[in-house]
Amino acid sequence: MTRDLLVMDRVIKRFGGLKAVGGDAGLSFAVPEGTFLGLIGPNGAGKSTTFNLISGVLKPDSGAVVLDGVDLSRARAPQIAALGLGRTFQTPRAFSSLSVLDNVIVGADNSGETIGSAVFGRWRADERALRDKAAAVLARVGLADRVADCVGNLSGGELRMLEVARQLVRDPKILLLDEPTAGVDPSLQAKLSRILVDLHAEGRTLIVVEHNLHFLLQIADSVVVLQNGQLLSKGTPSEIKADEKVITAYLGTEHAA
Amino acid sequence: MQIFLTIVMFGSLFSVLTLSLNLQYARGGMINFGVVAYFAAGAYAYAIVTQQPPKGLDQYLFGLGAPWWAGFIAAGLAAMAFAFLTGRPTLRLRGEYLALTTFAFAEMLHSLLVNERRIGNGTVGLANVERPDPAGIGLSEGYAYAGAAFLLMLVTALAFRRLLASPYGRAIDAIRDDETAAEAIGKDIPRLRFQVFVISAIPIGFAGALYAMITTLVSPDLFTAEVTFFVWIALVLGGERTLHGAVAGTMALVGFQELIRAIPFESIRAAEIAAAAEDVLTGLLFILILRWQPFEVLAKRKQTA
Repeated sequence: MTRDLLVMDRVIKRFGGLKAVGGDAGLSFAVPEGTFLGLIGPNGAGKSTTFNLISGVLKPDSGAVVLDGVDLSRARAPQIAALGLGRTFQTPRAFSSLSVLDNVIVGADNSGETIGSAVFGRWRADERALRDKAAAVLARVGLADRVADCVGNLSGGELRMLEVARQLVRDPKILLLDEPTAGVDPSLQAKLSRILVDLHAEGRTLIVVEHNLHFLLQIADSVVVLQNGQLLSKGTPSEIKADEKVITAYLGTEHAA
Repeated sequence: MQIFLTIVMFGSLFSVLTLSLNLQYARGGMINFGVVAYFAAGAYAYAIVTQQPPKGLDQYLFGLGAPWWAGFIAAGLAAMAFAFLTGRPTLRLRGEYLALTTFAFAEMLHSLLVNERRIGNGTVGLANVERPDPAGIGLSEGYAYAGAAFLLMLVTALAFRRLLASPYGRAIDAIRDDETAAEAIGKDIPRLRFQVFVISAIPIGFAGALYAMITTLVSPDLFTAEVTFFVWIALVLGGERTLHGAVAGTMALVGFQELIRAIPFESIRAAEIAAAAEDVLTGLLFILILRWQPFEVLAKRKQTA
């Protein structure tokens, strides 16, 4: 049995008295290292809130989020990112004044990002390698010919891939993707699917929120189903597809195996 | 010729302020409506460090009698210290909230200078500020101070360009564009914003010292919110995207005002009319430039060439 990379321990988050995540007992689940976890549930189930709780955008009201043995309850989002957590957002976010390539390079941990390095020009030594690495990642997500473009020219789907690239360049231990296929055309979806399968094969831990179950259940190796902020079910994709509770709450009868 | 020198002198001097504001606002995304406070901090620090100890009717406490270069360095440090003091509690604020607090801090410094006479004689100010005599290097005063202002502007612009063209500048841009996304890639936003805020105050302090040398007077009336808005107008005129835009906007604004003031008047009545006309024409020029944005067009042409 591999160790748990991420543990959600009785996490509760309220928005103005309303329990957004956790119900009374709190939301608990563990993600062993190397897992490709699919996080699904109806709209408003608390999937994005869960992501925000893990990545430090939100703080839990009670309970703990533990990443690689480190309790994240006091850590801010940049510190959590530095611990090796990468995430994308439900609506893609790009740095609009930077080129496509710079949007990716800026994601890398860069010791050249200091005033001293800027003044003495020391950053130039590493810049070459960073550019090559960023260009390679962009080629991997299918944006090789958009490297010099400005982000305003990218389509919605391409922006999603750009966000994935910006996280990949950081070599995260665990990568959280929020609805990566929304607004992405079928051919790019197929490419994304291959990238995720490759990342999983490389031993990386992935958590993917997705409404496109056809896409997700083919490639994930375990699934957590949320409803009203609480754990409805968890298991392998085939177990989830056969789960009565999940079928009535979310999947609909046509998904019944 | 004299007027040309004046335009270069004050144009360059205020360009330093516009360049710093450009770094804070256009790149750092911080609205500072208290620019004048850092300028005043520099000017007062220079005057206090270089002046002789108080005697006679002087109400100020400190006069260190140090050489001009010590005063110049002290001016940069004073502006930096004031930025440190004001940036710590305020930089968590965004947009108009930051604008209001920086404005309030500048007003506080202004009232302190007016009411606490032990700093700089209150409203009277410090007259006969010491300054180096450029005759030593064989230059007339006009040329020497215009040259010094131009040099300070050049050094500021080059330093900022070097900073912004680096990965540091890229991180700053990323933070301004999208803070949430920048946090998700591990950027320490409070630290970077604070650094930019403090760094950009240093040249403003140096400009304050030079201003004190040129006018040989520091007094609270010289450092009102008018200076802040003058610099903001210059930044908007020149276009915020480029460093040379900031300089062009300031030069145009200073040049325009100096040209109007240079018109010789026969009577007091004519001078009054001219003063009113200056405001009207400044407004008109402002509208025309915003409509056609000539400096932005120039900057773009330069980039594509």
